[in-house]
Amino acid sequence: MSKGIRRQFLKRLGAMAMVATASLSAPLAQAADSAFPDKPITIVVPFPPGGSTDLLARKIGESLSTTLGEPVVVENRGGAGGTVGANYVAKSDPDGYTLLMGVTGSNAISAALRDDLPYSPVTDFNPVSIVISSPLALVVNADSDFQSVQDVLDYAKANPDTFTHGTPGVGTSMHMAGELFALDSGTKLVHVPYKGSAAALQDLLGGRIDAMFGDILVTSEYISSGRLRPLGVTGTQEHYLLEGVPTIADAGLPGYAAFSWQGLFAPAGTPDDVLATLYGAIEAALQTEDLQTLFRERGFLVEGMTPAASKDFIAAEVEKWTKVVDAAGLKK
Amino acid sequence: MDMLTGIELGLQTALSWHALMYCLIGVSVGTFVGVLPGIGALAAISLALPLTYYLDPTDALIMLAGIFYGAQYGGSTASILLNLPGTATAAITCLDGYPLAKQGKAPLAIFVTAINSFVGSSFAIILVMGFAPLIAEFALQFGAADYFAVILLGLVAASTMTLGSPFKALAMVVFGLALGMVGTDVNTGQFRFTFGLFELADGFSIVALAMGLFGVAEIIANIGQPAGVMQNVGKIRFRDMLPTRKEWKTIAWPTLRGASIGSFVGALPGTGPGIASLMAYAVEKRISKHPETFGKGALEGISAPEAANNASVQAAFIPTLSLGIPGDAVVAVLMGAMILHGITPGPNLINEQPQMFWGLIMSFWVGNLLLLVLNVPLIGMWVKLLSVPYRLLYPCVLIFICLGVYSANNNVFDIFVVLGFGILGYLMRRAAFPATPVLLGFILGPLLEENFRRAMLLSKGNLMVFFESPISAVFMGLSLLFIASVFLPGVRARLSRRTPKILEDDD
Repeated sequence: MSKGIRRQFLKRLGAMAMVATASLSAPLAQAADSAFPDKPITIVVPFPPGGSTDLLARKIGESLSTTLGEPVVVENRGGAGGTVGANYVAKSDPDGYTLLMGVTGSNAISAALRDDLPYSPVTDFNPVSIVISSPLALVVNADSDFQSVQDVLDYAKANPDTFTHGTPGVGTSMHMAGELFALDSGTKLVHVPYKGSAAALQDLLGGRIDAMFGDILVTSEYISSGRLRPLGVTGTQEHYLLEGVPTIADAGLPGYAAFSWQGLFAPAGTPDDVLATLYGAIEAALQTEDLQTLFRERGFLVEGMTPAASKDFIAAEVEKWTKVVDAAGLKK
Repeated sequence: MDMLTGIELGLQTALSWHALMYCLIGVSVGTFVGVLPGIGALAAISLALPLTYYLDPTDALIMLAGIFYGAQYGGSTASILLNLPGTATAAITCLDGYPLAKQGKAPLAIFVTAINSFVGSSFAIILVMGFAPLIAEFALQFGAADYFAVILLGLVAASTMTLGSPFKALAMVVFGLALGMVGTDVNTGQFRFTFGLFELADGFSIVALAMGLFGVAEIIANIGQPAGVMQNVGKIRFRDMLPTRKEWKTIAWPTLRGASIGSFVGALPGTGPGIASLMAYAVEKRISKHPETFGKGALEGISAPEAANNASVQAAFIPTLSLGIPGDAVVAVLMGAMILHGITPGPNLINEQPQMFWGLIMSFWVGNLLLLVLNVPLIGMWVKLLSVPYRLLYPCVLIFICLGVYSANNNVFDIFVVLGFGILGYLMRRAAFPATPVLLGFILGPLLEENFRRAMLLSKGNLMVFFESPISAVFMGLSLLFIASVFLPGVRARLSRRTPKILEDDD
């Protein structure tokens, strides 16, 4: 509450200052305009600290702060699969000082899934850049009979509503990867949602569910210790953390591709020059040793899309997942 | 690597000066956030996490883990002295801790909880050292049906034990279950009972609920007595803290039982210290020869839950370190911290990072010893809180509660939730409705539903699944025994002789 009032006050003060400077000298006002940023920038992470989105936001934030010369503060506003934090940023001032580290769930799938979403991922944001993407791995228990993607396809076709796949929850990219798999292959799978991927992993290790579309890095630990078997990756090419594992498209389901991604978003209406400044800083960040190491370790693929490309990408993603959600009858 | 080599390696790590320093910082911060109502381990660790970026990963983990278990020591202090739980998990300690303080036994009660905490932790650390991989494999055997059976047992054990007005207690359990329904349905993703409030999509926050019903309600109830029960606290002598031989005997078994229950619950991923302390209290009251003393200052009533929540917190590291599956929400953040430092927790951790594994474990010993040394001298200082007038104390407490609730999600909405539950809690007190069963229903209900529905999904609706798995069958059998015991004539006759006493009612 008090924050809103304070912000309003600051805004009014800012407006007054602007009028004052403008009336004094026009060139000076222009200089002030192009001086973005001239105060700390906040990156909202729509999840609690400690997750991969948080990590990415903090590393990017460090680099942005060096490039832009203003402190970058990371603020965690978790809740409802990232949508609470996204909603907060969507309703913030479009001045480039409040940004969102958005993900597939908060900035695309939710639009497909929910009618009651209080913001629109397409019209309420100006993306700065889709920063990274990351494919998932289709994994089964090492004791399971499934040796290949083809085995799964054959089994699922012969036994509709039997093959179970665990996910961290409805509307997550893991869930959508599974639904897309079913849609593309014309099969019916049983979706078993959990609260978080650790709980799903627990049942997969215990042999109580058949498969999981999991995070590459996390599953690679269990693959190397011989507890899980990878059948395919959801990307368009092999992944360096899982060498020798084919893509699902190559292994029997041509055309299949699903990614989770993360990107930086500003509220709709943010001036183009501010977006350009921010994008420039992202480009610089992607060149740093620190972030390249992080990406390598985490299994992220660098995207670094421009604001325009990112906008098109979001529109395409929303369309893609809307099709999947409608086919699966998941619309809320 | 055998255990002795491991211990040696661990001690080298944990006794280095920097590890010792970070351990001390961790447990001190933990104690303080534990004592402060509303600010718990989760909030503190979330805030401290970014600060650890520049530390050595092992040191960072030692410090963060220290905050986690340190908070379990401090949590009971405010419960005992002020009837305000320092952490959500310490709410149950109010029941017997506060009556003890009113009898002038606050130093004794705090001393006892420090001992309970130490014993509970030690019990679980020994399990982590000796059997972590074994226990983790066992925990892996627990499926949805088994979880359902364990939680059902907890609910049954706790609800059938309630003396006093069983209808009011039952009504409050149901009310708690109903509150637990609010939020996103795990199976369908549908928002339930959110009344269009987007902030309720994840349900009510447990911290807001516990702090409202117990903390804010207590403060409202004391409005109009600005001086409060101000006690003239003289110099606290060590003698006042020490239990008598008889009291040592009273707490010995409850502490060990609490430690066992806590270790079991803690090792099961997805549960947590809140469930551990509730279950331990329920069991103690159930098997006690003097259940009528519970709620009036029974030492068993603080010993068992305090041992249980500490044991649970340490045991939560079992699935985390040996399988990479976090035992509860706070450990999940700790796991995030590991990944942040380039260490992916998984089944390879113990072999690939023996220095970190053993260093962390040995730091648990160091930390718990530090906590004991730190907490006993502090007792005198804490008890002095009783001499602070309420008109000064309560506004501070309210600020801490608001800070704690807000910092969990950086969301102002939660502060209004805490206020709402505070008013509700006060009205419930006036009508003699107990608050503990609400907490019970709220914590266990969602887990019960989630696992029931998952079990049904996986078994294609076959109800027999609860009796086919041996683990589940055993726990279902125990639940039936509990229910049957209520209806057996002999037991019923004995029950009816007990003086009715409502859990919460202390005015």
